[in-house]
Amino acid sequence: MKFTTRDQLKAWLDGLAAEMDLVAPRGVDGHVFYRPVASGDEVLFDYERPELSAKAFVFPDTEVFLRVEQRGKDVTVEEVRTERKQVIFGVRPCDAHGLAVIDALFLNQEPADAQYQHHRERTVLVGLACPRMWEGCFCTSMGGAPDDATHLDVLLREVEGGYAVEAVSEKGKALVKGLKTKQKAGDPPAPQTNADAVPVVDTATWRTLFNDKLWQRHGERCLSCRICTYVCPTCRCFDVVDRVVDTQPGLTRIERIRVWDACTSTNYRRAAGGHNSRPTKPGRIRNRFYCKFCYYPEDFGPLGCVGCGRCVVSCPVDIDITEIMRDVAAKGGQE
Amino acid sequence: MAANPMRPYVGRLAGVREVATGVKLFQIELTEPEGQASLAEYKPGQFAFLSVFGAGEAPFGLASARGPYLELGVSALGHVTNSLHALEVGDPVGVRGPLGNWFPMDQIKGHDVVIIGGGIGGLPLRPVIHTILDHRADYGHLTILWAARSPDLLIATDEFDEWRNAPDTEFHVTVDQGDENWSGNVGLITKLMEEVAPSTQNTITVTCGPPIMIHFAFLTQQKLGFTPEQMLTTLEARMHCGIGKCGRCNMGEKFICVDGPVFWQYEVKEFLEGFL
Ligand SMILES: Cc1cc2nc3c(=O)[nH]c(=O)nc-3n(C[C@H](O)[C@H](O)[C@H](O)COP(=O)(O)OP(=O)(O)OC[C@H]3O[C@@H](n4cnc5c(N)ncnc54)[C@H](O)[C@@H]3O)c2cc1C
Ligand code: FES
Repeated sequence: MKFTTRDQLKAWLDGLAAEMDLVAPRGVDGHVFYRPVASGDEVLFDYERPELSAKAFVFPDTEVFLRVEQRGKDVTVEEVRTERKQVIFGVRPCDAHGLAVIDALFLNQEPADAQYQHHRERTVLVGLACPRMWEGCFCTSMGGAPDDATHLDVLLREVEGGYAVEAVSEKGKALVKGLKTKQKAGDPPAPQTNADAVPVVDTATWRTLFNDKLWQRHGERCLSCRICTYVCPTCRCFDVVDRVVDTQPGLTRIERIRVWDACTSTNYRRAAGGHNSRPTKPGRIRNRFYCKFCYYPEDFGPLGCVGCGRCVVSCPVDIDITEIMRDVAAKGGQE
Repeated sequence: MAANPMRPYVGRLAGVREVATGVKLFQIELTEPEGQASLAEYKPGQFAFLSVFGAGEAPFGLASARGPYLELGVSALGHVTNSLHALEVGDPVGVRGPLGNWFPMDQIKGHDVVIIGGGIGGLPLRPVIHTILDHRADYGHLTILWAARSPDLLIATDEFDEWRNAPDTEFHVTVDQGDENWSGNVGLITKLMEEVAPSTQNTITVTCGPPIMIHFAFLTQQKLGFTPEQMLTTLEARMHCGIGKCGRCNMGEKFICVDGPVFWQYEVKEFLEGFL
């Protein structure tokens, strides 16, 4: 294996931070988030699961994507782009998996989402394997693993005295050229995994349970707070709004912004004229889970869940995706 | 890089007129060559997003198959639509489109056609009517059933005479509630459908209106003997992208913006999640 030390990683990260946008796990008032960092010293190396996924760095929660200038009756529209490259360091394999799920829709379905594609192309993902699974995690049930390299450009695994370095993609190989490593004997230890798998049933089974009572039971305690979609690495609904940023005589500057949206919000399906075709909480909770386990795989390929477990620990009323998956499997006769 | 489908093409308002109480028909001229190329051709049933820069954008059915301008009819219901209504001729707008699928006019050719339009839902059917009238020999008998809640909400009234007098065409109109000047039919469009009772022989129906009207219009057509393979409709949902990404318009596994907005009734009845 290729071996490097934490100090060598930090020196490498210092160099990267000078040239490009560097994002890494960072401690913020006792919490851990992926955040922009300016040097290797700001990076956390020992952390569990950052509280929010990494999706915000390729699909920002609020992003100006057009700047419009209106002079008199003349309008110019400019697309917002940055020339800078970006490295997300220390990204967990489940979060990289989450981006691959979004790719299936935003990149692989024509037409591609131009803004997302722009960020995806300028970004390199340097993963750090989880030594074990954390509270609520079930990545191994969703086709992932704590040390899954599949969706990463580089994977680091903790070993005695340092890290094993695996450059996965061409992008990754180019990036780690600047990292000091040496050849060392041995393999990284296998991560600890949870024993109890969560059952994943096929979409045909989900289709038979659309009108089941279980949606009433799980859905009626939902508070429509939308935290599940906010922390989710695969939820990708968005809204588009305009903001007037400057008005002078004869000149108006406008930004067109996209913001994350949530299908669990009360008025999601309310149309002009007031008609709401999904007026109840059970109906909206059902839509969220059908999106993940039935619609998304049928329409775009991958399942819409990577088993990161964030929604399980963040839901204020303990709506538990794994409990729902078990219920569906039991009712569908596939347990 | 391919054109960004979320970037609107700039245009200007070339004309505007009120076509019913609270409904204006906008004529738009695109000023950017890419926009002119993109919207040079579109098919009956397709839609576009209209932007008022600073207020936002919303989807509207492309409402005409005639003339030099894009035409879209807008009912003032909220933020973007009220801002649209406040525009004056010459003001800039943005347009993204054409989006969505369309009425299969090639398949409709050679058939008798029944058009069932409720309220502002009649607007997206206007290009279907235009296409049939402008290629009259390609289609069989045309029946237009038109309705609104009250006479002032009837749209396209300035075209009624043309429709009435067109060859091999019959036109019927009703309102839920009349007023002192109204001497025509009164009652729901389903009542009118039963009274006119169009033949089902070699016929295709095209329905658009509010969800509840589409629901009952389907039931009445079924009663009259139409099969799900004969009935077309166009559905509406709240939309934020129109290109299958934002998630807003899903009905079950279908995205109204890219899988629709035009559907056969046999497709609609298979939706896991209903449109009502
Ligand atoms: C394919 C398609 C074709 C269409 N064609 C036409 C057409 O030809 N003509 C036409 O007039 N319209 C058409 N529409 C409808 C049109 O898009 C809407 O009227 C428009 O989006 C309303 O935008 P707005 O900003 O003015 O309304 P908004 O200000 O967004 O809201 C209008 C109404 O929506 C509801 N609403 C929305 N968001 C909320 C919320 N957060 N909380 C509570 N209530 C809310 C309310 O009832 C409100 O009164 C079409 C829609 C689709 C999808
Ligand atoms: S409007 Fe965005 S997915 Fe249909």
